[in-house]
Amino acid sequence: MPLRLIFRNLLKHKLRFVLTVAALGMAVFLVCVLRSLVVALDAGVRAAKSDRLVVQSAVSLFVDLPLSYETKIGSVDGVRTLTQFKYFGGTYQEEPGYFAQFGVDAGRLLEIYDEMEIVDGSQEEFARHRTHCLIGKVLAEGRGWKVGQRVPLVSDMFPRADGGPWEFTVAGIYRSRSSTVDESTLFFHFDYLFESVESGSAEGPNGAGVYAVLLEPGADPVAVMRDIDAMFQNGPQRVQTTTEAEFNAQFVTMMGNVPFFLSMIGGGVLAAILLAVVNTMMLAGREQTRDAGVLKSLGFTDGAVSGVLLTQSLIVCLLGGLLGVAAALAVSEPLAAVLGPNVAGFALTSEVILQALLISLALGLLAGLGPAVRARRLEVVEALRAEV
Amino acid sequence: MSTLIELSGVSRIYTRGGETVRALDNASLSIEEGGFYAFMGPSGSGKTTLLNLVGGLDRPDQGTVVVGGSSIDAMSGAELAHWRAENVGFVFQGFNLIPVLTARENVELPLLLSPLSRKERREHARNALELVDLTDRADHRPSQLSGGQQQRAAIARAIVSDPRLILADEPTGDLDRASADGVLDLLAKLNRTLGKTILMVTHDPRAADHAGFTVHLDKGRLESVDEKVAAAGA
Repeated sequence: MPLRLIFRNLLKHKLRFVLTVAALGMAVFLVCVLRSLVVALDAGVRAAKSDRLVVQSAVSLFVDLPLSYETKIGSVDGVRTLTQFKYFGGTYQEEPGYFAQFGVDAGRLLEIYDEMEIVDGSQEEFARHRTHCLIGKVLAEGRGWKVGQRVPLVSDMFPRADGGPWEFTVAGIYRSRSSTVDESTLFFHFDYLFESVESGSAEGPNGAGVYAVLLEPGADPVAVMRDIDAMFQNGPQRVQTTTEAEFNAQFVTMMGNVPFFLSMIGGGVLAAILLAVVNTMMLAGREQTRDAGVLKSLGFTDGAVSGVLLTQSLIVCLLGGLLGVAAALAVSEPLAAVLGPNVAGFALTSEVILQALLISLALGLLAGLGPAVRARRLEVVEALRAEV
Repeated sequence: MSTLIELSGVSRIYTRGGETVRALDNASLSIEEGGFYAFMGPSGSGKTTLLNLVGGLDRPDQGTVVVGGSSIDAMSGAELAHWRAENVGFVFQGFNLIPVLTARENVELPLLLSPLSRKERREHARNALELVDLTDRADHRPSQLSGGQQQRAAIARAIVSDPRLILADEPTGDLDRASADGVLDLLAKLNRTLGKTILMVTHDPRAADHAGFTVHLDKGRLESVDEKVAAAGA
């Protein structure tokens, strides 16, 4: 393979070469970012555990379940333990940057979510003190919070009667070994919330948002879901029990099937750039018609001559792909910071990088195929007569 | 001298715009090894078609073309490519150098198909350029060379892999008189000193004077083969 000829042909029209590679780089950059968004949005679904279920109101996720359901659900065969999840919706000192807060069963949270690991402070401290909380590592690092930090939160859903904020103290910082639990959340005692509302020192709905259920080893999730749903078939509040994966998928589709739209945009960008690169490579192929004839006359086979054009296309697309991946890597962290907990876990994974490079190669193959086949079929005599 | 090329009843028929053209009509010819042949005739007489058939760039519709004992009309595309690489060097009217490569790189190109190392390829290319007196322009691209220099580079490329046969299609057609004479002298020298068999298509009687044999064609038919004893033995 005359490599020197391949590179010289690529650089023959430097501006065209640079523009083509840059356009490819931009397309691959967009694909990387969009794909990373899709991966981040789907991460909770893909990483969901099969031994966890979620019980929610059959009417809507935003309708609370009675607290009396906790004992009843706990009595179903196959259920090992469970916790409420109550969304708090608090804000911290009018600072920008949202983070989620949930009221949970402090004694059971880490048993149910064993992917959570305390990296500072202790679970015992959290369980022992009613106003203590656990915060994720990303949240702690982002805000500079440490164990012992006091976190005052104001909640429109649960305003305090005295008009002041809810006071929480950080008892521990956790990290998560899975994307099922993001590291930007604050977990506090549900009992603290419940008792405050019961005593009248705070206002708000006094029910559980959802129940997260951990199954006994070997329990049949389908049977447990059926039994839980059947138990409340006649009220007072019908429930819908789903696997954790289905529950997480709900959140993704609530945003209007964002992954699908992102994938569509990515696909559209790729299709557009493919057409542009095909056009460029066809033009290059036509310009090199006589060269193809010369090579054939010298004894290069049809395959070798078509290989020259195909390799040019592959090199252009691979360079564009590398440029796009490099750009995506460069902005990955700043972009993750901008997206924040709204798209927790946004990162350019090696899987996405590999996909981007494979897509680049596929683009190169598709764009180079036409000129390569044409060069292969060229009759030497006709090619040598070509006007270039 | 032994026979290097044997054409027997060779015809080549083209269809252009619905009209059938017999570019070469039942041509039979023997070419001796080491001979310098000029093919002359009016435009459309079949000179270039004959040259393309002998060089394996085209295939006959009828007849056989045997070169060095090999029936090249029966070879597959890949076999023919391999055969061309080993046996034929081409010199074209329009030079047909690759514009993005330097003269030296153009000359080296056929050697990429050989098992030679990079160093050996460079050495061979340098020798070929020396032979055509173009060493000082080796690193220039075709656009930086005069017509005569480009054609000499093309001749160096044609001989670099040491083929038995050099096919030149109007090699002086695009050159001024002085450059043309230089190229013709060079071809004659290759024939005389290296024993290369040269087939040259030309319209120019002065160019044909350099050859030992002149083959006349008209309307696709071979009219005559004239031997010039003095030129052939020179």
